[in-house]
Amino acid sequence: MKPRTQVVLLATLMTATAWGQEVSLYGTTMAQMWKQETPGFDKNTFTPATQYLGIDATKLGTDNLSLHLFGWGRTDLSDVSNFDGSKSGGYLNYGYLQYRFDQANAEIKAGRFTANQATGFEQVDGVSVRTDLRGGFSISAFGGKPVYYKTVDPRNQADYEFQRDFIMGTRLAWRMPKVGEIGLSYLQDGTKAAKDLDIPSPVDYTRKMLGADFHIAPASAFDLRGRTVFNVANERTNTAEHDYTATVKVGDQVTVTGNYAVRNFNYYFAGTNLPSLFRQDENDQFRGFGGSITWNASTVVQLVGDYRHMHRETFGDVNRAGGEIRWTASDKTFLGGVGGHWVNAANTKFVDPATPYRSLSHKEARVWAMVTQGKLIASLDAILQRYDSENPYLVGVRNVYEVVGSLGYQATTNVKVSGDISYGSTPVARHETRGLLRAEYRFGFAKKGGR
Amino acid sequence: MARKSILQIVGIALGLCVLTACSLISPEASFAATHPQELGAGRPICSECHSNDVAKGALKPYASFDHTPTFVKDHRFQANQDANTCASCHAQSFCADCHGGKVPMKPATRLSDRPDRATPHRGDFMTQHRIEGKMDPSSCYACHGRANNEKCAACHR
Repeated sequence: MKPRTQVVLLATLMTATAWGQEVSLYGTTMAQMWKQETPGFDKNTFTPATQYLGIDATKLGTDNLSLHLFGWGRTDLSDVSNFDGSKSGGYLNYGYLQYRFDQANAEIKAGRFTANQATGFEQVDGVSVRTDLRGGFSISAFGGKPVYYKTVDPRNQADYEFQRDFIMGTRLAWRMPKVGEIGLSYLQDGTKAAKDLDIPSPVDYTRKMLGADFHIAPASAFDLRGRTVFNVANERTNTAEHDYTATVKVGDQVTVTGNYAVRNFNYYFAGTNLPSLFRQDENDQFRGFGGSITWNASTVVQLVGDYRHMHRETFGDVNRAGGEIRWTASDKTFLGGVGGHWVNAANTKFVDPATPYRSLSHKEARVWAMVTQGKLIASLDAILQRYDSENPYLVGVRNVYEVVGSLGYQATTNVKVSGDISYGSTPVARHETRGLLRAEYRFGFAKKGGR
Repeated sequence: MARKSILQIVGIALGLCVLTACSLISPEASFAATHPQELGAGRPICSECHSNDVAKGALKPYASFDHTPTFVKDHRFQANQDANTCASCHAQSFCADCHGGKVPMKPATRLSDRPDRATPHRGDFMTQHRIEGKMDPSSCYACHGRANNEKCAACHR
């Protein structure tokens, strides 16, 4: 969407809030500061200021119509922190009108919204509809102009937008109470595939994906869900992804989960705008499996153990195992956790002697706590990664850590100010201190937000 | 005259299609737009209150929405199938903290005062990504494959 169109859309949507009988405005103002001294580079001081702003206006003339806006703006008060060299930037994450029907969970959205009911997670400037049908069926669909992001090479930008001229997706599902749900979805992003252009493009920004998802939950004690996604852009259908997770509850206190996933890169990476990293010609595969055991030992203590095995055909195997103890006071005035993980990357292939990935085997420890005392809220979060052996990436730093302390004051129910200080040591910066000031506010009626 | 007849036939056909489509729509009342009780910090276990119930709309046991560690990590399945259920407690901005398409800072910095929330890239992920990204680039692709990758592009050109 062109900036001029964005401004007009935003102005139109903003004025619509005037009709709202219940308007909520919420925002976060953040000021950060950090100094960076990297060998071979100039010393820099960064002080970016960031403003997040959201508006939810409900009951716009009718109880069912609402408006939702959310975006951010940012400017650098000293050295440039953006990688594209610009001192300021901003973005409209979403801005849409929603009509929610009293019946059939039906809704219509128009504007900029996120669509995730099909195989992807898409930002769209367009229209979305969904409704439940008789007999347990439901249907949803969206269509419009895809939101464009920057490409690595600006010379390709025109082709990127040219190929992605239209996006649409749909999902048809059937659900049965206490049995589960099965869904079929289709996503098409762009209609001008690279191979069909007069002058074929080296990068294909378009996608055609077909997905099948299901969820089986006959009882609270058992849950199996997952999906398979096919890339149907070519004459032959190819599998892009399988991802399945099973959950079993043993009594009231123990939950056991298992997961299995396979992804074929050259089909899964369809439509990327970063082809140097997510290579579309890469005939490689990832397979992973793992699981976790969660024991709610009491109403305040939770213990979690987890394991994950990852295998990549061209690289080797990595195993990750560990656990965490979480403590949540019944009145939620204290939340805390202690965790540890071991990552073994010994069984990886030595592709290049100059990049010994195997020595990235490490141990990780994390301790965190959050305390609320009256209007004061304090938190501490410390993470340490200790690498098993030296390698060029680490430039002599084997203990990589970061400690973040935060102190906040909840002035009223809807206004909170807080400040963070973090200190850390990394291969990039041996000593790094960062400061952050944050003001959060919320005016209006909204109860939602997941605070 | 013939054109008028064609338009009439098309109009009648469209009307019949709309009537048929409307008759297919479920007569059930919609799921509650907002959870009646505001929930505090921490991960709610829905089935603690909604024991043996099937969530209206989703038609699944409330236990399917218990915010266990696995749910928090793999919530995309529930979000794809039952966005209405998520929306009864979470505003869209909650999702946008991480899934914003384009965000000005990593979620772990944005939520550095909320260590209880699971956010990607806590600590020094710059070093970590050399093994995480090498081992499973498809895990990066979900967020950085088609958006949010200006920082990646600084090195991966």
